Amino acid sequence: MTFTPLEAVTLVFVLGCALTAALLRDVLAAIIASAAYSLGIAILWIVLQAPDVALTEAAVGAGVMTLLLLLTIAKTVRPENENEFERPNLRSLVVVVAFAGVLLATVPALPAIGAADSPVAGGEVTQYYLENAYEETEVSNAVTAVLAAYRGFDTLGEAVVVFTAGVAVLLVLRREVFV
Amino acid sequence: MSGNGSGSSGNSTSSGDSPNRITRNDEQVPYVESTIIMTTVRVVTPFILTLGLFVMFHGASSAGGGFQGGAIAGTVVLLLAFAFGIGPVRDWLNPAVILGLIAVGVGTFVAVALGSLVLGGEFLQYTAYPVPHASKYGIELVELGIGAVVAGIITGLFFLIAAGFETGEPMEDDT
Repeated sequence: MTFTPLEAVTLVFVLGCALTAALLRDVLAAIIASAAYSLGIAILWIVLQAPDVALTEAAVGAGVMTLLLLLTIAKTVRPENENEFERPNLRSLVVVVAFAGVLLATVPALPAIGAADSPVAGGEVTQYYLENAYEETEVSNAVTAVLAAYRGFDTLGEAVVVFTAGVAVLLVLRREVFV
Repeated sequence: MSGNGSGSSGNSTSSGDSPNRITRNDEQVPYVESTIIMTTVRVVTPFILTLGLFVMFHGASSAGGGFQGGAIAGTVVLLLAFAFGIGPVRDWLNPAVILGLIAVGVGTFVAVALGSLVLGGEFLQYTAYPVPHASKYGIELVELGIGAVVAGIITGLFFLIAAGFETGEPMEDDT
């Protein structure tokens, strides 16, 4: 397994941000660290050739989520004179490390990035999309073709989920308008 | 109660006329009137809005689509609120426009999906529409609808969370 310098630096940056966000006791600092983490993950998505996912991660993960979290802690009080870092509980640490170990153990089984014989690229459905998406849907972004045409019903469901989230918050906060 | 969002919790009582004074709007969210932030946001927002609309409109031909473009476009209002205060931006926004964006967005998607049934096709079969390149324009219309929903919901969630829960009113269960 080899990394380009960009991949290695981004990976270290993401891991560092994730650890910082988990260990810092100050909530404001942890939110800033998690925003940086999202931005790093977005860069990784671009490196892995998934620009659609990267755009979502940067806009929602790093942008909107950070603003909503900041807004939430603005209503809280900031405690003074505390330890700067959380002291992790030994038992939870063991569980987390074991879980990460199990997940990492599956990584060598994954096909190489861009491998022609990977199950996803060679699958019958994928090949159908790649060969017919342009003629059948007339859009040149295959991701959009799958999302809005072949899987349009799923996407309609997703849009309704977003709509429902807004309605649910209105109900919980007992308001009739958003602004 | 000292706020956390501005990062300077001790200064909230500093007196009136200093340029970086912390003012409190009606939601008790600390607001720092910063010339740097206001100027940056003023310069940057037209470009962010353009990018959001581009990602939304051009999602059929390049990376992006309704979800991403809507999130970027919605962020513009959030930036304005952070720079100029949540209260003034809330007053400036028309509630009917936000509700309309969300309703019209979902409505567009559902109408496109059901319309093809009416015209004798399957559910969401774009080619049932008697227009040239029906599939392409149908997908783009649906993406715009998704963008409207996402932008409206993100703006709405922001202002709802900023307003928070009104603790003064009696709970319905108590009566």
